[in-house]
Amino acid sequence: MRRQNIIAAVVLIVLALVYGTLTAQLPVRTLPNTPDPSFFPWINTVVILLLSLWLLVRGLRQPTQPATANDNRDRRRLAAWALGSFALYLALMPTLGFILATLPFFAAMMMFYGERRPVWIGGGTICATFALYVLFRHGFGVFLPRGLLAGIVA
Amino acid sequence: MSPDALIGFAQASGMLTLATTCIGVFVGLVVGMIPGMTISTGIIVVLPVTFVLSADISIALLLGLYVGGMTGGSFSAVLLNIPGTPSASATAMDGYPMASRGEAGRALGIAISASFVGGLFSFLCLFFIAPLLAMVALEFRTEDMFSLVFFGLTIICSFAARSLVKGLLSAALGLALVTIGQDPVMGTARFTFGQANLMAGVHFLTAMIGLFAVPQLVENLMSTETASRTQAKLKSVLPSLSDLKAMRLPVFIGSVTGAFLGILPGAGGPIAAFISYDYTRRASKTPEQFGKGSVEGVAAPESANNAVTGGALIPMMTLGIPGDPVTAILIGALMVHGLAPGPLLFMERGDFAYGIIFSFFWANIFNFIIAILGVRLLVKLLATPRALLMPMVAVLCVIGSYALRNNFFDVYVMLFFGFVGLAMRWLGMPVVPMLLALVLGAQLEEHLRVALIASRGSVAIFFTSPISLTFLGLSVLSIIWTLRSNRIKNANTSKETTS
Repeated sequence: MRRQNIIAAVVLIVLALVYGTLTAQLPVRTLPNTPDPSFFPWINTVVILLLSLWLLVRGLRQPTQPATANDNRDRRRLAAWALGSFALYLALMPTLGFILATLPFFAAMMMFYGERRPVWIGGGTICATFALYVLFRHGFGVFLPRGLLAGIVA
Repeated sequence: MSPDALIGFAQASGMLTLATTCIGVFVGLVVGMIPGMTISTGIIVVLPVTFVLSADISIALLLGLYVGGMTGGSFSAVLLNIPGTPSASATAMDGYPMASRGEAGRALGIAISASFVGGLFSFLCLFFIAPLLAMVALEFRTEDMFSLVFFGLTIICSFAARSLVKGLLSAALGLALVTIGQDPVMGTARFTFGQANLMAGVHFLTAMIGLFAVPQLVENLMSTETASRTQAKLKSVLPSLSDLKAMRLPVFIGSVTGAFLGILPGAGGPIAAFISYDYTRRASKTPEQFGKGSVEGVAAPESANNAVTGGALIPMMTLGIPGDPVTAILIGALMVHGLAPGPLLFMERGDFAYGIIFSFFWANIFNFIIAILGVRLLVKLLATPRALLMPMVAVLCVIGSYALRNNFFDVYVMLFFGFVGLAMRWLGMPVVPMLLALVLGAQLEEHLRVALIASRGSVAIFFTSPISLTFLGLSVLSIIWTLRSNRIKNANTSKETTS
């Protein structure tokens, strides 16, 4: 935890400094006896800075722990792939539309979670995608984007 | 009963509301018992639906899910020794040994019945205490409200974090995020970077979906844990007369402890379950049976974690202070429908407030009926493949954040918070204080600034009001208590390491 504490403290100190700089640029309102819009952000800046320094001191005072063997590398890689797919899915959805973006994403996620049977992946993906689309678009009136399928699907 | 209570009862007892409560309970039982799914995840799954339903029906659905989820957690705790929710951890200690000796049905029956009594007890507390507390809270002035919200935040940080400094940092970051958008007093745009989408600020439901669901999706992917799919043979589920007799004391202890701790923001189900388990063991005539499949060991934590639900609704409804992530989400769901929980809810929309209370009552009734009658079906659902469930949750996260304002910007905000949640998990920082700061932050700032305007800039206003002073004193006490208990814990750990 020592390494995490130091990293967290340093990142938060930088964040607090950036936040403080942005706060200093906020417009000033000079009404008598009235706290400015920057009043609360300044309190936050000071609190985050003080707490981060506390965390940094605590981290530095903690004993160094021996590094543990990392036997989880494959799963981390898998998680990174899944997160990347998720980000790509969100980036493509406005253009492709809900259905076309969800079909490959859903199938990929099923594989990431260990499903290997093609029929299950295909069936699960198609059923889930269309069921969710119909339920939310037509059942609950959520305007899920149609993208490239506009004019083809209702 | 007051006219508002009667109207509320009629609203909660409408066919559509009852059906929605039933669905909520069923979904809650399912998500609660599947390891890797939490009640918060279940709520995220149904959240998009609540945006299009009316307020009373949405709340009935969410309350059903809340109550069902608490009981559902005990199914996997008893059958697989994997608590479906953190609140069911204590149940596994005696439920699983009981199931191992071929009494899975008996253990589930005791858990379901104890949950039922605990839930009903907390309904009574909610029904009688909430309106009174709302009346008292009406007397609070803006400086008192500031101190109350501040107290709520400090106590949440101290309960939610293994490290106080990290809990406070998480809350402080949440408060900083709240400042994005128009400021609540003068309407000045802050930290919007010219983005019109940021003028309304970060919607906390979007943040919540990212903070909770994305790390959970990753955690499930990283997990090597495979739940045993062996189906337990369930004979009789209803507890016998002797079991009912043995349950009386633990259920009483559990219900009282759970309802009381539920009222305290941040204490939550797991703490209530373990404390009531401990009290019951001390009060028991057969403490040596605990951990080996004791009836009392199953009944106490189960009644406690369900009693927490009604307790947590009391500060949520009367003061607008969420007790846990689920009640925070309930506040968000109410806000989406233009309703702000707090003392004025009872004054201005008394019928609706009582509607919530009676929906909670029905949720407990349906929870018992569905759990007892559907136990065999529910146990089969434990085998739902994760490979189908998790992609579904991922897609529902997207729909949920999009449906809030039919805006893709919110979906990207959700993804951003997903990464924030992952980073916080890696750094050992709790996300709950941040979420609750996102809920309470705007109130905290508004009350602080309005009080300072009223006092012409003097901070003495917070110390001259007795109510405000009490809450500030309690805040200091909660921080000192946490620091002290952390120090004792650290000393014990280092002693163990040395020996």
